[in-house]
Amino acid sequence: MATLEHYLILSAILFCIGVFGLLSRRNAVGILMSIELMFNSANINFVAFSKFINPDILTGQIFSVFVIAIAAAEAAVGLAIVVLLYRNFDIVNIDKINFMKW
Amino acid sequence: MNVQIDLSLLYPHLFLLIWALLIFAIDFFMTEDNRPSLGYLSIVGLIITAILSFASDKGTTFWGAFRADTFSLSFNIIFIGSAILTIASAIDFVKDRLKHHGEFYGLILLSTLGMMFLASSSDLLSLYVSLELATIALFVLVAFMKRDLKSTESGLKYLILGAASSAILVYGISLLYGLTGTLTFAGIAEQLNTSFMGGPLFILSIILIIAGLSFKLAAVPFHMWCPDVYEGAPTPVTAYLSVASKAAGLAAMIRIFFEGLHSSAAEWIPLILTISALAMVLGNVVAVRQHNIKRLLAYSSIAQIGYILVAFIAVSELATTSMILYMIVYMFANIGAFIVVITFYNRSGSDEIIAYAGLSKRSPFLAISMVIFLLSLVGIPPMAGFVGKFYLFAAAIQKGYYWIVVLGVLTSVISLYYYMMVAYQMYFKSGDDNSRIKVNPTLAVAILIALAGTLFIGVYPEPVLSAISGASVTLF
Amino acid sequence: MYMAIFILFAIMSIAGAIMVITLKSPVSSAIALIFVLCCIAGLFALMGALFMAALQVIVYAGAIMVLFLFIIMLLNLKDEILGEDEKKVTRVFGSILGIAFLLEIGFFVRRALTVGSESLMYPVPEQFASIEVISTGLFTKFLFAFEITSVLLLVAIIGAIMLSKGEGKTEY
Repeated sequence: MATLEHYLILSAILFCIGVFGLLSRRNAVGILMSIELMFNSANINFVAFSKFINPDILTGQIFSVFVIAIAAAEAAVGLAIVVLLYRNFDIVNIDKINFMKW
Repeated sequence: MNVQIDLSLLYPHLFLLIWALLIFAIDFFMTEDNRPSLGYLSIVGLIITAILSFASDKGTTFWGAFRADTFSLSFNIIFIGSAILTIASAIDFVKDRLKHHGEFYGLILLSTLGMMFLASSSDLLSLYVSLELATIALFVLVAFMKRDLKSTESGLKYLILGAASSAILVYGISLLYGLTGTLTFAGIAEQLNTSFMGGPLFILSIILIIAGLSFKLAAVPFHMWCPDVYEGAPTPVTAYLSVASKAAGLAAMIRIFFEGLHSSAAEWIPLILTISALAMVLGNVVAVRQHNIKRLLAYSSIAQIGYILVAFIAVSELATTSMILYMIVYMFANIGAFIVVITFYNRSGSDEIIAYAGLSKRSPFLAISMVIFLLSLVGIPPMAGFVGKFYLFAAAIQKGYYWIVVLGVLTSVISLYYYMMVAYQMYFKSGDDNSRIKVNPTLAVAILIALAGTLFIGVYPEPVLSAISGASVTLF
Repeated sequence: MYMAIFILFAIMSIAGAIMVITLKSPVSSAIALIFVLCCIAGLFALMGALFMAALQVIVYAGAIMVLFLFIIMLLNLKDEILGEDEKKVTRVFGSILGIAFLLEIGFFVRRALTVGSESLMYPVPEQFASIEVISTGLFTKFLFAFEITSVLLLVAIIGAIMLSKGEGKTEY
């Protein structure tokens, strides 16, 4: 029987992989995909908590519906900027846009 | 099913939404020459929204998810005020350099709307969604100059880091939800009062929430996007970003931490304390080396958020009042400084500090306004910054945090140096170009409003203080 | 059995996630991500959140990832990076994806066959999976957030169109 802890550990692992991808990928599309991974790990948390903590109200599941909507909106705007960068300046890789000048 | 919707509380929000949609629609029917009037139309809409905000009742609706109180009213005025000043400063800029007028003004209005929803939300879900509404509009605005590589680049940077921070925030929220079983701030506070909450998971959730919101505040160590994005974004958007976006982040922090998590303050105060100290030191020290005025103001805005967080650790009524007061003061001074930068840029096309040499001769009005705004940011009396900082530090001293206040005063002295370097360029250096700079009436009015706000609050802060003093009562 | 399915989905999703961030070719990454999303949908189903599982597959794996793939194809990223070796990887992916779908469908079928009996090894509250509870929540307690989301999507649409619209040379 998988318990809440199992789901939490899984989501933590996925979140960490997402963060790692965010830092290691050099392609804008790849970075956006890593961020999708992070959103998904949060979704696992929400659904798991809503099952194990308060299954009657489903607050967690409702929250994850909103997370999906927001992830979609962010992906759409992000990809629009990527297209813009590619079309006007022929750039896809983050390296080329001097990202590390922090 | 009883319906608990009282739309009369949302009249300002609904009005602003409809007005923004109208701006998008009117844009289609306008000829190229008439487009700038959309800016004036937006300002009119914002002023009516502000009046409606004052006039509408206080109360809760939407099953408790929406709450109009003095706190939300104060922040609404900050958001609307910065949007008005931003749009007033943008009209010339947009006319000369941008193509999509309607989208530009409409997105600023919708971003403001998101922030207004944020200040009124009383659960984590509506807070998160409205924060995203404000932020996604800003992503687009930062990348608005489509033919400008810097703007597009910084748009991508802001989007990636913003989306990542939003994922971090939502992960933190999910943990907090799991631990308390509820999303409303009142429910979380109740849960924390009845059962002791400690443990690594709770701390982790707080760290993640602070990290996610610190991106919006641009506080150290989550400030890396700030200088680049401020430099690359269209300058009016930078002005808006530096005030309204920070105010939104602050409103979210106050709602979550003062309202929901105040009983476990001992857990998160050390974190905020560290962020505040780091922001003040790093912001002020790095600002000294900047050559570009927008980057200088970016680092100074990082330092400013450090000062504001000094009061945050006090977790008291005075803390809330002083932070709102400082945010108002900061709005006038910072947007004022940016309007001067925009006016200068419109004429000279340069943001370099060296280019400001001899500005006192080219336009005495711009030079003296800039000096007043910068002195207010340092906190020199009789400018409003002094009153603001006085209350911020008083809130911290009241709770016995002396060393952070000492640090705040010391770093303010550093800030005096780099702000006055700008003044030195303007007054004691002479540039190659000595032609006079004519200030366009709209920009002049915007600068005058910012000047009036800065000087009035500095000399006579009582009316503002009494207006916002009710803001914190609702939170404790 | 429940635990075995959980472990299977967990390992597959972690392996897929690692592929998402390590594979060179963006197309392979995107397909790996679709695979991860399907595994997570499987986990949702395992927890009894059937509506979320469906949403995950339809909206996330279906709509959002197609957008990603579409952009990758539009920018023609594949020619630069995708060599001979990666094509094999894609093929392997395809098969794994197929197996994942098979498992998922198998799970649903099994569940459909055993509804009412005790053979499902987890206690699912009557209404946990119910769309009714979710929609009631969406239109009452969370109506405010729901309405804000509609404005948010409008902003995203306007922003995406404004940014990616093609235009003449003189325009900004």
